[in-house]
Amino acid sequence: MADNTKAVYVLGGYQTDFARNWFKEGKHIVALIREAVQGTLDATGVDPAELQVAHVGNFAAELYAMQGHLGAFVVEVDPALRGLPTSRHEAACASGSIAALCAAAEIEAGRYDVALVLGVEQMKTVDSKTGGDFLGTAAWYEREAKGIEFPFPKLFGKLGDEYDKRYGLKDEHLARISAINYGNAKLNPNAQTRSWFMSYEHACSTGQFNANIGGRIKLTDCSQVTDGAAGIILASATFASAWAKRKGTSLDRIPRVLGWGHRTAPIEFSEKVLESKEQPYVLPHTRRAILDAFERARLPGVEKIDAIETHDCFTTSEYMAIDHFGLTQPGESWKAIEEDVIALGGKCPINPSGGLIGAGHPVGATGTRQLLDAFLQVTDSAGDYQVPSARRVATLNIGGSGTTSVVHVLGFED
Amino acid sequence: MRDTRRVVVLGANGTMGSGSGALFAARGFDVAMLARTADKAMQGLERARAAVRSDVIQKSIRCGSYDDLEKEVAEADLVLEAVSENMDVKAPFFDRIDRARKPGTVVATVSSGLSIAEMARGRTDDFRRHFLGMHLFNPPNVIVGTEIIAGPETDPTVFESCGTLLRKRLGRVVVACRDLPAFAGNRIGFKVLNECAILAEQRGVAFVDYLIGPYTGRAMPPLATIDLVGWDVHAAIVDNVFANTSDEAHEAFRMPAYMRALMAKGHLGNKTPKQGGFFLRSKTPDGKRFKLPLDPAAMAYAQTPASVTKVRFVEEMKAMHAVGRYRDAMALFLRAEGPEAELARKVILGYVSYALHRVGPEEVVDSPAGVDGIMGFGFNWAPPSVLVDLFGPKPTMAAMREVGLPVPPVLASLPDGERMFTLRGANIGRFFVGK
Repeated sequence: MADNTKAVYVLGGYQTDFARNWFKEGKHIVALIREAVQGTLDATGVDPAELQVAHVGNFAAELYAMQGHLGAFVVEVDPALRGLPTSRHEAACASGSIAALCAAAEIEAGRYDVALVLGVEQMKTVDSKTGGDFLGTAAWYEREAKGIEFPFPKLFGKLGDEYDKRYGLKDEHLARISAINYGNAKLNPNAQTRSWFMSYEHACSTGQFNANIGGRIKLTDCSQVTDGAAGIILASATFASAWAKRKGTSLDRIPRVLGWGHRTAPIEFSEKVLESKEQPYVLPHTRRAILDAFERARLPGVEKIDAIETHDCFTTSEYMAIDHFGLTQPGESWKAIEEDVIALGGKCPINPSGGLIGAGHPVGATGTRQLLDAFLQVTDSAGDYQVPSARRVATLNIGGSGTTSVVHVLGFED
Repeated sequence: MRDTRRVVVLGANGTMGSGSGALFAARGFDVAMLARTADKAMQGLERARAAVRSDVIQKSIRCGSYDDLEKEVAEADLVLEAVSENMDVKAPFFDRIDRARKPGTVVATVSSGLSIAEMARGRTDDFRRHFLGMHLFNPPNVIVGTEIIAGPETDPTVFESCGTLLRKRLGRVVVACRDLPAFAGNRIGFKVLNECAILAEQRGVAFVDYLIGPYTGRAMPPLATIDLVGWDVHAAIVDNVFANTSDEAHEAFRMPAYMRALMAKGHLGNKTPKQGGFFLRSKTPDGKRFKLPLDPAAMAYAQTPASVTKVRFVEEMKAMHAVGRYRDAMALFLRAEGPEAELARKVILGYVSYALHRVGPEEVVDSPAGVDGIMGFGFNWAPPSVLVDLFGPKPTMAAMREVGLPVPPVLASLPDGERMFTLRGANIGRFFVGK
């Protein structure tokens, strides 16, 4: 493994309110970008003229908003940003994390000292069936999505089925995951579902208000599409120490990207399952990305992690994350659910923010939103959903049906 | 105050009753929904289920008639009165609650502006200490802005605990108001709405809704809003304020005669789709919706859907909102020329001036955050302080003087360089609509 000795610091960031519907507001995607960039600069006190590079994560603005070339829109925000080098990155639902990886790599390489990372997606421009079809392009569209209504719930339903086949899986554990995420979201002022009703009983129920979407996946098992953007600022030690001085603090109080992992599995879900047939982990490349991040962070394992922001696009993907992170033995994720390990107040809370299910899943923004929430946790600024004395938080951001996995560990060394 | 677990809702079949029942049940409270008959209460339960989109909430809800009132109230921690907005209807319920309640049970009214003091008058000491206004906005499971109003003898710790309950357990944005007619939100909001109804007489219904449209910082145009809430509700609010206050904008609360005449003929807005309100809504044979604007002078509806002559600065502002340039748009609003721009400024700066005049030790709320909270999260209108910050305090004051509006003391005394809007975490951009 390459030695990345150059530190990358996280100065803070901003997310838009994921309950907003920007199409209803009559807004172009540039409004979303503008609010998030301005919010990020305001939150960090970084002057636009100080930015040296910007990386934008976005999945499918060409489909949802008939707009490509999103990096260029960062420059629209402020005259001082004209000339800023920008680019856009796409890896389906992992786009936001890929943008962050690229920004961090450039800082590690010494190319730049301060980078803006922005994740953005506007999705409420189309009806849910059309949107479901667009999302199908994150799978192998022709083989797994074409002509299929809501392909992704079906794919992640299959993930649950695979667990069921190998280890057994009870839907009540999935319902508990949903209820925890919705419950946490009630504490998050930017969460999409903060005023929605949810309870364990409702998540267990079926019927007109909790319909089956595909396979074993019910409405309450799904994250919901929404509009949103989240930005963070990454910086080198040089910039971060000057910035710290300006803020009246010191470099050792600014969290760092301690480690990262990034792996890509075969895109087709059936291939993934076939590949992992004899292995303990259903998604071994996701497991590998997690271990890579721990190794780079020089951590023995999840016992050194205080909270996790994971990619619960469906309850089954969070169920998968529990054992893949090592909170339980493979196939025993249910134990961490039953023992309240993952609830707020538990040993390792998962998604204190509400995650994708509770906080919302504007696809390209999710990875950056997770990193921002990790930052808020380790700097004791997460408000009502703060995990007490969190020092290190891990994020797992997944593109496709477990295809691209990006893991970050944010915080402080011991 | 006791830990709140059991809640009784009176008037459970009404909009606010069923909505409040839904809100409390959805947040895990044990709720009794009472109405004139158990069947009516069941209708409220149906509405609650539809509102929160779940079958399981009915497990936390019992339905009953007012025959069950004494039994339910005796067991309750909180009694929420949501019967008709009429003192004579409410009073007998308070009598019965007073006799049936255990000491320490909180009694709250969802009244949107009647006198809390008058409701409390003549009741037992313990009732008066535990009585307050809890004005939820419709629909309560969606709109989070909530006013709480203490009566003259409400125990401050009870009042404080109710605020905490609303904030922490029900996710509300809570604004403490003084017991003045229509409290803060409706006093400020309906001043603007009624002013628009008055303007419609000269400028036309469709034009007023265009000129004071969503681009000025609101989810819905003003006259369409009156149609939505109902002309009867509008009349009750403005008549109450007109009769019981005397402030710098008193005439703005005088309901136009054409509205009163049409109301007598059954025009109440959307709730009377055959008669209509400011608009008569209809569909073409192939299902396309359209609306015909009222001609207030003729007291009749136009034969064809409204076509409004577009105004340049309005269109330019919308285009700026669409790309997120809210500050630039509001700067244009201040400098735009022509009678339309002047009229729009009169209404919008009138809103800011009137709202911020309601801040003070003898006024409805103590700080700008109060009017901002309820206008932003109860009405979905750009909070007055957001507009001040976007215009800039000095340009705001200058523009107010120019259109003959009084400058509110709280604005005049704002220290240089300080922002007026202090509510954290609000995305102000959401108030400015780009279409």
